[in-house]
Order: sequence, then structure tokens, then C-alpha cells
Amino acid sequence: MATETFVVGTFSGARELLAAVRALRGAGVAVHDVHALYPVHGLDAAMGIRRTKLPFVTLLAGLLGLCFALTFQYYTAVFDWPLDVGGKPENSTLAFVPVCFELTVLIGGLGTVGAFLLRARLYPGKREELPVLGVTNNVFALVVRADPHGNDARLARTLMLQAGADEVDDERQAEVLS
Amino acid sequence: MSDLDLHRHDAGDPLLPPTRWIDGAPSLHKITTDISRPMEARPGRGWWICLGIAGLAVVNLLAMVGYLFAKGIGIWGLNNAVGWAFDITNFVFWIGIGHAGTLISAILLLFRQKWRTSINRSAEAMTIFAVMCAGLFPLIHMGRPWDAFFIFPYFPNQRGPLWINFRSPLVWDVFAISTYFTISLVFWYLGMLPDLATLRDRALGGIRKLVLRFAAFGWNGSQRTWSRYEMVSLILAALATPLVLSVHSIVSTDFATSLIPGWHTTIFPPYFVAGAIYSGFGMVLTLLIITRQTMHLERYITIRHLEAMAKVTLLTGSLVGYAYATEFFNAWYGGNLYERYHFINRATGPYAWCFYLMVLCNVLVPQALWWKRARTNIALLFVLSILVNVGMWFERFVIIVVSLHRAFLPSGWGMFYPTVFDIGILVGSFGLFFTLFLLFIRFLPMIAMWEVKGVAHGD
Amino acid sequence: MHWLRIDRYYDGDGAAARSVHQPMMCQHCNHAPCETVCPVLATTTSSEGINQQVYNRCIGTRYCANNCPYKVRRFNWHNYTANSDFDFNMASPLGRLVLNPDVTVRSRGVMEKCNLCVQRIQLGKNQATLSRRPIADGDVATACQQSCPTGAIVFGDLKDPNSRVSKLLAGRRAYHVLEELGTRPSVGYLKKVAPQEEET
Repeated sequence: MATETFVVGTFSGARELLAAVRALRGAGVAVHDVHALYPVHGLDAAMGIRRTKLPFVTLLAGLLGLCFALTFQYYTAVFDWPLDVGGKPENSTLAFVPVCFELTVLIGGLGTVGAFLLRARLYPGKREELPVLGVTNNVFALVVRADPHGNDARLARTLMLQAGADEVDDERQAEVLS
Repeated sequence: MSDLDLHRHDAGDPLLPPTRWIDGAPSLHKITTDISRPMEARPGRGWWICLGIAGLAVVNLLAMVGYLFAKGIGIWGLNNAVGWAFDITNFVFWIGIGHAGTLISAILLLFRQKWRTSINRSAEAMTIFAVMCAGLFPLIHMGRPWDAFFIFPYFPNQRGPLWINFRSPLVWDVFAISTYFTISLVFWYLGMLPDLATLRDRALGGIRKLVLRFAAFGWNGSQRTWSRYEMVSLILAALATPLVLSVHSIVSTDFATSLIPGWHTTIFPPYFVAGAIYSGFGMVLTLLIITRQTMHLERYITIRHLEAMAKVTLLTGSLVGYAYATEFFNAWYGGNLYERYHFINRATGPYAWCFYLMVLCNVLVPQALWWKRARTNIALLFVLSILVNVGMWFERFVIIVVSLHRAFLPSGWGMFYPTVFDIGILVGSFGLFFTLFLLFIRFLPMIAMWEVKGVAHGD
Repeated sequence: MHWLRIDRYYDGDGAAARSVHQPMMCQHCNHAPCETVCPVLATTTSSEGINQQVYNRCIGTRYCANNCPYKVRRFNWHNYTANSDFDFNMASPLGRLVLNPDVTVRSRGVMEKCNLCVQRIQLGKNQATLSRRPIADGDVATACQQSCPTGAIVFGDLKDPNSRVSKLLAGRRAYHVLEELGTRPSVGYLKKVAPQEEET
């Protein structure tokens, strides 16, 4: 874990934030992260964030739920202890459908949420890392890494101020997981 | 109603009119403070009085359920002819109410209806509390509730292992309601994460900060998280949508898979789902009309929101009325002796007054909502919303008790008369629901701050 | 808890109406509507065709009773044994001597119904086994059959084509109650043929 310097620009509106992100990317400055109050549309594209693969997790988890439900019901009703219940056939496939459906949805949903929390590294009690106070209230923040790898901190500062930042702090120190 | 230009940005043109869904043009900070105020200020006297009354009802509920467990189901008015009455009526009633919350949260999200953002948090909370109240009844209606765990296919067990009957609609109910509750809870909580972070950052310290830090999962508004978060919300909404349809359909199969006249009909799944959404919107209207005024949130839950909800109420109420007409027509057209008698008995038998009350409240009363004057009159909407739920409770009562009390052989006919315990437990369940809701509006943000900010400032 | 009741119907109007009666108990349906809806498998059909009720598995949801078209199921609404709230024989130790020691006493919250005197059937089977012979028609008589003074109730093996009950049910008078519902009951009835007064 190394301490690095960040340039943090604060904005009071999403419009200015988007303009800044586009300007920075246009100038070849890598954006570390953006902190928004709500999902700003167009920001993903501006930052170059790729579409998440979470839907595949849902599909997988849902299929898992479905297979489990089918297998379990079949095993208990046909294989393990078949009983004459109202003259119904032991392999009552149609009757098994509601439980199959519900377990598909349950496992699919829980699996997706679990994968999301893992991927986003969110967990109960996590200590928050806020670039600037107010980022959950009324402030948007744009964070650029000011490291010797090629980012010009001053260029970032200028572009952000040009785009309409309320203020830019270019000496934020933070610990970064390497 | 749908604004398909959700993604269009007019560069924040100051001349663009503010969104029609929020009154005035509150700043981002104002939105935060308006909605956070109930959690940071001391509650008013009205809240305490309401909590006191609801709390009393809960104490009564606990006492009566204790007595029920001690003495047996015989303290209710049930008998060998009518095996279910208030218990299952209440169960279906509460589950039905929950469906509106999920519709508002999930289905309206998929349809990109921006007006949902002011009401979805409370509506989804209402769903969770309603499902909790509903879940009480399958447990207490059992003759031997201490053996309730028999209904779960836990293994290994020393009885064979003996499993459960997957063909039984009650088992489908167990899975459906567990899934519904879990997914609703997860969806609701996930949606609250950004708001919990807002509250956490407003907290000055002590236990409040610790609890909120624990609850907020370290949320900091990172866009990389937001983009995944949006996808998860869409996925959960897409999963919750078929749940709205399937859960109440499965609950309706408790009756539809039976063979007694009045129950044995394939119309039940869609009919019950429409009825559930109808009663749910009635309850949402009741709750929000009161809380928007007492919490001073009229700017966010505007008359236009109430009007939109009134329109859905009108639609689903009309669907329910159509279903009644279809049932009667089919009973006549089908020529089944028992089915015909059942419907004649509904309209002319000893419970006919319940039937007429049900038709009045579910078919006639919502027709007032065709007029805009009615849809925008808050007092009328409030009275109407209560009548909606009265009507829907009686609908379930009519379906259950009237079908059971006179089925096939006349020697199996009987009457059901509620006892003080039937009524007391029903009232107690309302007490439980309102207690939970009152606690919710005191301790959790009842409007989705981040979603409202997105609507007010996003486009 | 009456597992068998006598249903009374009236044929005719007013003072001239004749009453006809029909004993009604669990019909032991082959397609039992009660069995399908029990969530915990407390009621199933045995390999001998008896619709069983497993008291210690029943959790008392009463769905089975709701679904029975004959309404023959009885529920234990309270604890009737050793309970001073009720004035039954079972409330006192002396009164409990009235109970049949072979038949389980059901607890509160459990569903019960006619089980075709399964204890007598077991006894009959055991005696036949001990005597090293197959069980014969007439070995087992249900309690209702034994009590009926006119011999109106016949019990036997339906899979044995030579048993008295099979021959009776193969006759032209035989019918099942609520046959059209498709429950396929194992209990059959014979239509009563009675002379009628000539109308003047």
C-alpha cells in the first residue's frame, strides 16, 4: 500500500462534470474515478467504462437454482420415497413448476446481488473513502491520479476549472491498494 | 407518461422547465435536508400517539396469539364445514397488499416511469411489512404450530427421511413467499444504500454513525459502482416483475387447485393478481396521503403522483369487476349445478351482505376515478383508498367462507361466525403493520433521495 | 368426533315426504382431493387403497378438510382429553376406560377421519398370517358393519373378484357419491329400490 497524490475536482452539477470528464479524456488524462449523487447518464461512455458482465452471473445462478429445484423435487418424490398422493403420478413435473420457478428467481437474485457486492467491494461496516465531503449530499467529484506515470496534475486542474469545477484540490493524499 | 428521453441532456439549460414530478426546484442539498429531517429531529406528538395505538394493537395480537397457541384453533369461529375464514382471508389480504410496492419499485422501473421515485421506497417498505404480517397467519392458523418446521424439506431428518408434498399449493406458497420476501427485502435494502451513505455522512458521531456505517456498506458514490449498481437494480427489477405475477398466482392456486365450487376456477391467478395490485395501491394511497402531510413532503409526493396511483387503482378495480362478471357468466354458461348454486348463494344466501359490500367497494366506488376532479381530491382519494381495502378484504372473505360453508353435500354445510379472537387478531395485524411503518418513517429515509435528485436535476 | 354420519334426504313434499338416509364416512378416494393438498404428506394412500391419516405428521392446516367434497374430515379444535373445559368421557380417568385401547388418541390440532378400522384390518391380517392362510372374505368386519343390525354395511377386499363387496359393487344398483367429480371413491352404495304408493 502506497500513498499517492490525487487531484480532486468538485462540481455542483452533472452537466459540468460530464464536460470535465470528456475534456480530460480528450486530453489523454486518465480519470481514476468519478463520484456522483445518482447514476449520471452518459458518464459511463465518457469514462470508457465497459458494460458489466453481471447479467451472466444472473443467468448462471438462475440456472443453478432451476437445476437444484428440479433435481431435489425429482429425487424426493420419485427416487427416495415415492408415495401415492391422491393418485397423482410420482413424477408430477407440472406440479413441480412453481417451486422451480421460485428457486430460479431466488438463487438468481441472491447470486447477482452477492456478485455485485463482491465486485464493488461493498460489505457491512466498510469504512467509507470519500474524496471530498458532500459527495453523498450535493457535490460531484472527479478524481485524477497525479502520479509520475504521465498525468499532468496542472493540466487536469486547468481542464477541470475550465469545465466548471467549483474547486480543485490537487494535493489529496490517499492510500491506494497496489 | 413515460419520458423516453431519460438520457438526453440539454446541457442543463436553465430555461428548461423543472420536472413535473417535483414541486418547485429544490437544490440537491434541500432534497437531502427535507428528506433527512424526520430521522434527525425528534418525532412529533402525532407520531407518538399513532405509535401508541398501533403498539397497543400489537400487544393485543401477542396476547391473543398466545391464547390461541395455548387453547387451540377452537377459540376461533371455525368448524368442520368452514375450516378457513379470517385466518386465510387475512393472509391473502396482506400478501395482496404487498404487490403494489413491488410493482412500483420494479415494474415501473422497467417502464422508466419517473414518477415512481418519490413513492417507491415507502411502497417497497410497505410490501415488506405486509409480507411480514401475512407470514404470521400460515403459522398461527396451524393446529400444531410448534411442528411448523415439518413444511420445510430439511434434511437429514429422522423420519425416513420424510420429505414434503411438492404437489401441494401450500408448499408452493412457502417457496413463493420466502422468495418474494427475500427478493423484496434485498431490492429495498440495495436501493437504500446510497441514502444510508448520505445519512451516515450527515451523522456527527456516536452510535448513530456506527450503525449507519455498518448499514451503508462503505458506499461513496463511485461511478464504477454506480454503473454496476444500475445493472443490478435492473436485474432485480426484472426478477421481481415475474414475482409480482407468480406469487399471488400461486397464492390463488390454494383455491384454484381445489375442487369445491367457487374455488375450482382457472380465472383465479389473473383475477387475484389484479385484485392484489388494486388493494396494494389502495394501501399505498392511504399511507402516503397521511405521511406526505404529516412529514411535510408534499413537494416530493405531489398530487400528480396521487393521480397516477389513482389511475392504476381505477384500472385494476375495473379488471376485478370484469373478473366478477366473468365468474357469474361462466357459472351460468357452464351449467354446473354446484357452481350455479354457489353463485346464487353468494348473492342471496346468509353472507349476501358481504357480497354486496364487496361489489360496492371494488366495482362501483373506483369508477369515481374516471373524473379528474375525483383523482385530484385528496380527501376523496383517502376515503376511497380505505374503501378499496375494505372491499378487497371482503372479497377474500366471500371467496373463502361462502365457498366452504355450502359446498357439495348439504350434510356438510355450516355457518361461520367470527369470535372476538378472529377480529382481535385481524386488528392486531393492522397494528403490527402500522407499527412497522411508523418505525420505518422515523428511522429510514421514506423517499429515495438519490432517485429524486436524479429526477429533479438529472435531465 | 363422528367419523361416520347418517345423511338424511327427503323424497317428496310436506307431510308426505319420506326420509331416505345414507351413511357417509371417508370414501377412501383413489384420486383423493384431500391428499394432494396436504403440505406435509400427512395423508396418503396405502398400498391397500386406504386413505391414511398420519396423526403425528399432521400440522393442522385443514386444507384437506376444505378440499373434501364429502366433508367427512374432523379436526381436533381443542385438546379433548383430560381437559376440564369439556364434558366428555375422556376428561376423567374413569371415563377414559371407555376408549378403545387399539385406537390412537388424537392430540389437539390434528385432522382425523374414518380409516376403515385399520386396527381391525391389521388384526385380521395378523391372525391370517398366524394361521398360515390368506385372509378370507369376512375375516375383517369394520365397527360400523358389525354394529349395523340389518347388515347394510359390507366390507371386504375389492381386488378379490369373489368377495361379497366386489360382487355387490359390480351389480346394477351400485353407484358412487359425487361420482362426476372424478374422485374414484372406494366406497360404493347400492340404490334403494322401494315400492311406491299409487297416486289416486
